[in-house]
Amino acid sequence: MTPIEKPDAKIVCLVDDDPAVRKSIEQLLVSDGFSVRSFDKAKSFLTHAQAHPVALVVLDIWMEEMSGLEVQVNLSALSPGTRVIIITGRQDPRAKLTALHLGVIAFFTKPFDGDQFLSAVRGALAMQVK
Amino acid sequence: MSERDRIDKKSDEHRKSIEPSREEQLSLLQTITMEVAAAKDLSSALEVVLRRVCETTGWVLGQAWVPNQDGTVLDCGPAWFCAEADLKEFRAASEGSHFVPGTGIPGCVWKSKQPVWIQDVTLEGNFPRNKVAAEVGLKGAVGIPILTGDEVIAVIEFFVHESRAEDERLVKVITAVAAQLDLVMVRKRAEEELARSNEILQSILSNMGDAVIVADKEGKFLVFNPAAERMFGGDATQTSSSEWLHHYGLYLPDRVTPFPDDQLPLTRSIRGEEVNNVEIFVRHDKAPNGLWTRVNGRPLRGSNGELLGGVIVCRDITQIKEEEFFRAGQSHLLEMIAASAPLADVLTSLVLLLEGQADGLRCSVLLLSDDGKHVRHGAAPNLPEAYVKAVDGLPIGPRVGSCGTAMYLRKPVVVTDVLTDPLWSDYRALAESCGLRACWSTPILSPQGEVLGSFAMYHQETRGPHPEEMRLTEIGTHIAGIAIERQRALEALRESEARISLAAESADLAFWVLYPEQNSAWMSEKGRAMYGFTPHEPLTRGSFVSRIHPDERAAVQAAFEQARASQQTFEIEHRIVLPYGKTRWVITRGRCLWDEDGNVLEIICVTIDLSAQKQSDLELQVQREELAHLSRIALIGEMTASLGHELNQPLTAIANNAAAARRFFDRGQIDPAILKQLLADIAAASHRAGEVINGIRGMARKGKSTRSSLNLNALIADTLRLVRSDILIRETVVVTDFDSGLPDVEAAPVQIQQVLLNLIMNALDAVQALPPAERRIIISTRSLKGKSAEVSVRDFGTGLPADRAEKVFDHFFSTKAEGMGMGLTIARSIVEAHAGRLGAEDAEGGGARFFFHLPAAQRLSISKAA
Repeated sequence: MTPIEKPDAKIVCLVDDDPAVRKSIEQLLVSDGFSVRSFDKAKSFLTHAQAHPVALVVLDIWMEEMSGLEVQVNLSALSPGTRVIIITGRQDPRAKLTALHLGVIAFFTKPFDGDQFLSAVRGALAMQVK
Repeated sequence: MSERDRIDKKSDEHRKSIEPSREEQLSLLQTITMEVAAAKDLSSALEVVLRRVCETTGWVLGQAWVPNQDGTVLDCGPAWFCAEADLKEFRAASEGSHFVPGTGIPGCVWKSKQPVWIQDVTLEGNFPRNKVAAEVGLKGAVGIPILTGDEVIAVIEFFVHESRAEDERLVKVITAVAAQLDLVMVRKRAEEELARSNEILQSILSNMGDAVIVADKEGKFLVFNPAAERMFGGDATQTSSSEWLHHYGLYLPDRVTPFPDDQLPLTRSIRGEEVNNVEIFVRHDKAPNGLWTRVNGRPLRGSNGELLGGVIVCRDITQIKEEEFFRAGQSHLLEMIAASAPLADVLTSLVLLLEGQADGLRCSVLLLSDDGKHVRHGAAPNLPEAYVKAVDGLPIGPRVGSCGTAMYLRKPVVVTDVLTDPLWSDYRALAESCGLRACWSTPILSPQGEVLGSFAMYHQETRGPHPEEMRLTEIGTHIAGIAIERQRALEALRESEARISLAAESADLAFWVLYPEQNSAWMSEKGRAMYGFTPHEPLTRGSFVSRIHPDERAAVQAAFEQARASQQTFEIEHRIVLPYGKTRWVITRGRCLWDEDGNVLEIICVTIDLSAQKQSDLELQVQREELAHLSRIALIGEMTASLGHELNQPLTAIANNAAAARRFFDRGQIDPAILKQLLADIAAASHRAGEVINGIRGMARKGKSTRSSLNLNALIADTLRLVRSDILIRETVVVTDFDSGLPDVEAAPVQIQQVLLNLIMNALDAVQALPPAERRIIISTRSLKGKSAEVSVRDFGTGLPADRAEKVFDHFFSTKAEGMGMGLTIARSIVEAHAGRLGAEDAEGGGARFFFHLPAAQRLSISKAA
């Protein structure tokens, strides 16, 4: 198997196609000392993940073109070590089950508590890559 | 005190200073009392007394004696005072001495519990140290007991060089001092007891496996034992519980939903509630893979019942939970099998479940092909794709890796190193390129002993199976065996059913068979649709009875029973009631089959749908506006995804921006430009939320709608924005094709929007059965010679009902389980009220096309009420 470059544990990738939401999450992460790489499209994130190690990605589920769950599926083949936190705009038990099955670290329904979100981010980044 | 001593005292300046006056003695008493009170233990208290007495009264050496542990001998205590260096020899002799009751000064004092005064120890017979005393020149001595109640806890003794006559007053003063010492010692002992019991408590708290956390009612931590630090992370005591809880990931038992703050056990117990067995999943940077804890909490109350805080005890139940999950996982697999879930799904879930039980373990299930000679891919979600592909289709044989060989030999094959084992000689490169080093495989056998496939475990290092892995293998092969067997049986059954179904479908009938003995039933696909059963739900006689309209239930049952008794065919016309209340008229014909003994084996029935005929008999007397409003409300209900989503987005932005601002403030580094930006973003998001709410309000408003001149292209674009999320969630692409020369129309926007929403939601439903990539809807507009505007919504679904396209506009016609069957009827009435037309047709190339025309608005016309 190809040796894997170690991802930077202070950089969080963020994929959400709603500019207002995306910007607000960026600010939240920056306020806690994280660096953020944001993407408005799932595809551009996957392209990024092909070339760079990603420690953690925060994915919105419902996006144009490709859903966050599809990104998760692609990612599990592309970069199995990447940890995933899902955020979604609606209560959706089925999506949650799917995400769980795919190994999501935390699942947040918008709007969510900023502190809890950040603690999940910290916890996820501390996880050992299997 | 003798006369001579009194004269000596007066003549000797030194003596004067060492014979303290009453005031000096009182002052001595006071000083000693204070210093003793401050002493940390008996030994240092004794030292204070010895020093102060010597300094004030001219005794040159003071020593203390304490009973040994079993109380048989007095030992020389560590506390002593010596004014002169050359007395060390005597001290050394004392340190080597032990006194039994009645021996020497200490022994006499101990025994008598009274002070003992000796003018000259060198002349004293009962003084074992008299030789050393003579050498260093000590003569006068006094011994005083220190009593606690009736018990001597120590004896102090003092010496001077000259022979000294007994001074009663001095003895009294020293005795008084000793009494102080006693009082202090009692207190010290109590403190020591308390400290010791605290120490025991601390030691229990430190060593117990359960986390104990105590907080006061402000949430400040009072106790946070090491187990708690292990469980929840350290440095907790520096923050309050409410703040601290935010720093650690505490989740509900689903492991991903954050635990609600106000429901946390500590918070609840501080509130005064008793908390029993609450399970919390914990994940933070010290426990990144998470742990499970079961928490019990109690409020802490003072003696008068007032609330002081709360205490929680948390037990780490990670291991128990893991076992529980493993068992639940197995049950879930068996449920999947029972519910006829696809074999690939069952096997994948099985592999994932087993892989989760050991670190670094990869598993796979391979199937044996129908010809019994090749391996087929079963499930291997975590093996490299290249490997899985290469293995699929390999022949089985005596030297085909672990799995091919295991299936061939019908027995387990363990290969601890694939790079050296001859079984793998043909597949070494493949395994090596995929990073696989050890592989053991066990054949999966049917109850008849037939090979169904194999279950394999892989590791990236050379090794053999651990006992735990043997157990997992057993479980894996067992469950996989059940799943594969079941799949085979189902395939056989489906084949035979498919043949019957085919005949029934083509005749447009529901075909069904009831097996009274097993209380089970089979029904053709058409039948399930007609009766409102889902494709896979198990059917019983009860399922059918529940669908029969209550008014006719008795009659149908009677017809059944008669058919059973008379061994004849039966026919009965009745209504069936679908879930959500829709009814349908049907005719059911049936006959019974018997075995030789006359037992009913099965009842074969055919049901024909009569609704189309019956429906036209129903008359509806409902006000159009009222109905339109109800239908709009229903539409809003259908659009829940969009509405919730559209509101939650701006709310999320507001919450996050506010949280970010607070954090920047907390860190004391807020750039005014950033703050300004955050506030502007909050304002923009609030505005957006307001717009969403206004949109819903407009839709939900009841009453007459005002007509105005409208551009349908713009209205369609607005409407699509409203259902953006529903379109997303249903993974559908909506393409618009607008005629820019479309004439404006004179219409009530809310009503036309309702028509559009109806058509769009229907189209979304129509394409739902297609694979996501094919879910497409085209919405187009065109001008009909400038006289009217046409809007068309085209889907790529199954098209209109084959028998009668117009049926879709009938009241109560619905192809949707949750539909009321009113939407299109109302849509048509709205369009007709606008002097337009709503129609439907099958589109060229598949799917349905719904369209409506509205007359172009007359320029300069005055708006009027609808």
